[in-house]
Amino acid sequence: MNELDCPVCRVRLQGYVDQELDPALAADVSAHLVLCRECARVCEEVKALKVSVKRHAAYYPAPAALATRIFAPEAPAIGLMERWRKWLAPAFSATTLALAAMLYIATPDGEQPLMDEAVSSHVRSLMGEHLNDVVSSDRHTVKPWFAGKLDFSPPVVDYTAQGFVLLGGRLDYLQHQTIAALSYGRAKHIINVFILPTPEADKPQQTQSIRGFNVVSWQAKHMRYVLVSDVEKGELQTLGQLIQN
Amino acid sequence: MKQFEELIAPHLDAAYNLARWLTGNDSAARDVVQESALRAFRFLQRFADGNARAWFLAIVRNESYTWLKASAGRHWVAIEDDIGEHEGALSHSQTPELLAIHTENVALLQQALSALPPAYREVIVLKELEDLPYKDIALVADIPMGTVMSRLARARAMLKIELLKLHDHE
Repeated sequence: MNELDCPVCRVRLQGYVDQELDPALAADVSAHLVLCRECARVCEEVKALKVSVKRHAAYYPAPAALATRIFAPEAPAIGLMERWRKWLAPAFSATTLALAAMLYIATPDGEQPLMDEAVSSHVRSLMGEHLNDVVSSDRHTVKPWFAGKLDFSPPVVDYTAQGFVLLGGRLDYLQHQTIAALSYGRAKHIINVFILPTPEADKPQQTQSIRGFNVVSWQAKHMRYVLVSDVEKGELQTLGQLIQN
Repeated sequence: MKQFEELIAPHLDAAYNLARWLTGNDSAARDVVQESALRAFRFLQRFADGNARAWFLAIVRNESYTWLKASAGRHWVAIEDDIGEHEGALSHSQTPELLAIHTENVALLQQALSALPPAYREVIVLKELEDLPYKDIALVADIPMGTVMSRLARARAMLKIELLKLHDHE
């Protein structure tokens, strides 16, 4: 039964250690390992090597900015344009400039980029392990955590009684500034509440849908609030009302 | 777009990790992953079976190799999976070996793994860091299923030798 020679065993050993061999082959290898000290030693080495690599080799997660670039709604189109631009550079610059100017004039107050950024940040917060810097449902833990990290003080209230559980808070970065992000749980859904100061006047609550997410936003007392989640529009508006009152 | 994001987003870290290990630098890895996402987006219709991770990683691997070929000054090592010829390399018999393999030295391991030719580095990254099954490694690395094991055998033997070399130099 055990006709495995050493060179063959050294190869099969890999599948043996990685648990990829079917039982019959694995039995051959383990039988050989009992008899052959040299192969048994190599087997130990392979196991040790696996542990070392798993434990010490760097794992490079994708930078957050990369996900934003790839999954922004226009990203693939822009990527395509970039390739064309290699040979259409001058014409393109002019068109792009004109387009940029148009967009600049056409966009009333740069609100859309904020909403877009907020949605991307929401997606990112769910994708990575970085939903919260401070994990607590106690607002007396979360609120002081922001002190000294921001030049404004975001309102932090737990609405567990109303069905919105405060999960924690983190610092985020939107519109070129560090801002507060609170996360609330509603059943199995996560709601991100972005809070940032604004010099602009108050604005009533408005609701929109961006890339399948509901977004509720308003401005009050020089603070801007953006709520993003996949919960129902009505529920998100309810949380909006709660925070506003 | 939504379908694309659902398909690709979960594998972005794996993609970046592979590209970063193959190209050895951050900006190249970013470009490679972005270009790969663009390709994936364009060929989304052609993607039929369920294994999005292997599919996307295969694209990332191809893009990484394109980048490697384009970047001058990299030497290419022929790939030989015939382990028999390298028997000698596999059967040292000193005991400090286990010491070197059991390294707690992060920099040493990093250096040793980086020193492997891409074809061997990638199977180790895919197996140990991504924990891909052999059938997926075969898809990503574009080698027959049967070659995965011999490629890994060779890769691990080479990694051991690199570690020993570095260990001796210390």
